[in-house]
Amino acid sequence: MTWILFWKIVLVFALTVFAVMAVFVTVLGARDIKKLLTALRHLEDDSAED
Amino acid sequence: MPPEVVEALSRTNFTWIDTVIIVAYLGASLFIGLAVKKYVRNMTTYIGAGRKVGVWLGVATMLGTEMGLITVMYSAQKGFTGGFAAFHIALIAGVVTLLIGLSGFIVVPLRRLRVLTIPEFYELRFDRKTRVLGGIMLAFGGILNMGLFLKVGSIFIVGVTGLSNTGWALPSVMVGLLVLVLVYTTLGGMISVILTDYVQFVVLSVGLLVATSLAIVQLGWSDIFATVQEVMGETGFNPVAKGSGFGWSYMVWMIITAGLVSCAVWPTSVARALAMESTAAVKRQYCWSSVSFTIRFLIPVFWGICALVYILHAPEGADLRVLFFPEGPTGGGGFDNLYAMPVFMARLMPTVLLGIITAGMIAAFMSTHDSYFLCWSSVITQDIIAPLRKKPLSGAGRVRLTRIIIIIIGAYVLYWGLFYQGKDDIWDYMAVSGAIFFTGALAVLIGGLYWKRASSTGAFAALLTGLTALFGLGPVQQLVGLQYQSPGSDEWIQRLTGAQVGLISVALAFAVLITLSLLFPDRTPRTGRVRPSGLYPEYSK
Repeated sequence: MTWILFWKIVLVFALTVFAVMAVFVTVLGARDIKKLLTALRHLEDDSAED
Repeated sequence: MPPEVVEALSRTNFTWIDTVIIVAYLGASLFIGLAVKKYVRNMTTYIGAGRKVGVWLGVATMLGTEMGLITVMYSAQKGFTGGFAAFHIALIAGVVTLLIGLSGFIVVPLRRLRVLTIPEFYELRFDRKTRVLGGIMLAFGGILNMGLFLKVGSIFIVGVTGLSNTGWALPSVMVGLLVLVLVYTTLGGMISVILTDYVQFVVLSVGLLVATSLAIVQLGWSDIFATVQEVMGETGFNPVAKGSGFGWSYMVWMIITAGLVSCAVWPTSVARALAMESTAAVKRQYCWSSVSFTIRFLIPVFWGICALVYILHAPEGADLRVLFFPEGPTGGGGFDNLYAMPVFMARLMPTVLLGIITAGMIAAFMSTHDSYFLCWSSVITQDIIAPLRKKPLSGAGRVRLTRIIIIIIGAYVLYWGLFYQGKDDIWDYMAVSGAIFFTGALAVLIGGLYWKRASSTGAFAALLTGLTALFGLGPVQQLVGLQYQSPGSDEWIQRLTGAQVGLISVALAFAVLITLSLLFPDRTPRTGRVRPSGLYPEYSK
């Protein structure tokens, strides 16, 4: 395999995986934000927490 | 700046519509940042988001933090000068991050110990003086490291928008951006940072993918590779070819810096791991982030390559050819090639898309600044000031102090970015300032977590050994004879490259840790000490 072909494969593969991951992170990250804010709302402000 | 450069830079597709897009994006970031201020209750929520961050949000914030505008500019320059051979940096970063994710190396045991900062681990494992020294070196190296962020960010803004860098417009924009980041970081801490990072991830992802696709369509997939082949030959593809500017020692140095250090030792990355909801979440976060760690180098390097192809090959880039390559494609002496990528973007991207991409890059600028501000300020509070005080600091006192320090660091960055006129090489400066912290930290973290006999004396000395990284800086090398002038020429010849000095520093730090730990073992080893209810319960009071 030549270097040119190798870098072509790397570039196409990385861009494809990133595009798919970006969709996942956008959708599921929004869900995580909701969970985070709910958890923070219920966090007690006391010294039991470190 | 010469008039022909001003004329070349002023040819941009950036219009008022793009300005509106950017202002809308900035407004949204500020609103979100301020809206979550009410959730800040103590130091754990302020600098660790209550350790309630889920995997996907963790992945978003990791890319937002680690893909700074300075990384984009630096990597684009690597692509512009090194061609596809520079892709090896991206590949190394991705593979090493994936291995960290699969193994949990360093980050999982740190998260398990429930520390908030790396120096806090130093005290848990060694002693207080190691923590304070670790905090000082981390803050010193880290704050110096971000000194040039604003300056390099300005180059991008000038290149894309065509703003003059001599009037008041540019300083006003940069000050405005900085103030915006300071406001939401100061008030909302890590919660603001993570939520704005998410928005920044979305904008950044769209910007990265759209700009890359458009660049390929406009320049032609095959033409991009053919032009690099024509101009650089094998050195444009093979990173170990003679004349590529990289080589084996550089690649090993990249495994340590772009790979291991940037994902598992650099404090802003580690802060993301420490904010995750569980150790399993940390591992999944790192596995997915291996894609982000690849992309953060790969796409900007590719943009740099595209800028090169545009300037040398496209008819529209003819006026830039004489600016960047006055002595031909392989000659030097041209205008600062950091401008090449933004100028290329400004001409290639149509209005609206240019606004989205610029907003994405401003997102990169802001998301790195906010994390750095929070990280260094929290280390100064938690690991330097608080341990040195005789009276314990309350949780509210710590949050207040951290906020004040954020503003002080912001003032320093502003001064450095707008008024500092030094002639340091940007990348020498970045590498050396970072290495002051990480060469010692790498040895101390690995030794402390995985070697029972590592002692506080060894750790303390290993941290100090990080200062040997200063020998990688050009002026220091000239002073001590690591660089010499060739007879009859102004050219400086290096006996050791920056990468080789860095590798020696890392090896030295490990050698010092091992030798002094064996010679001076701790009387009461603190291995495996895990605090169930907190080393400093007063944090949350």
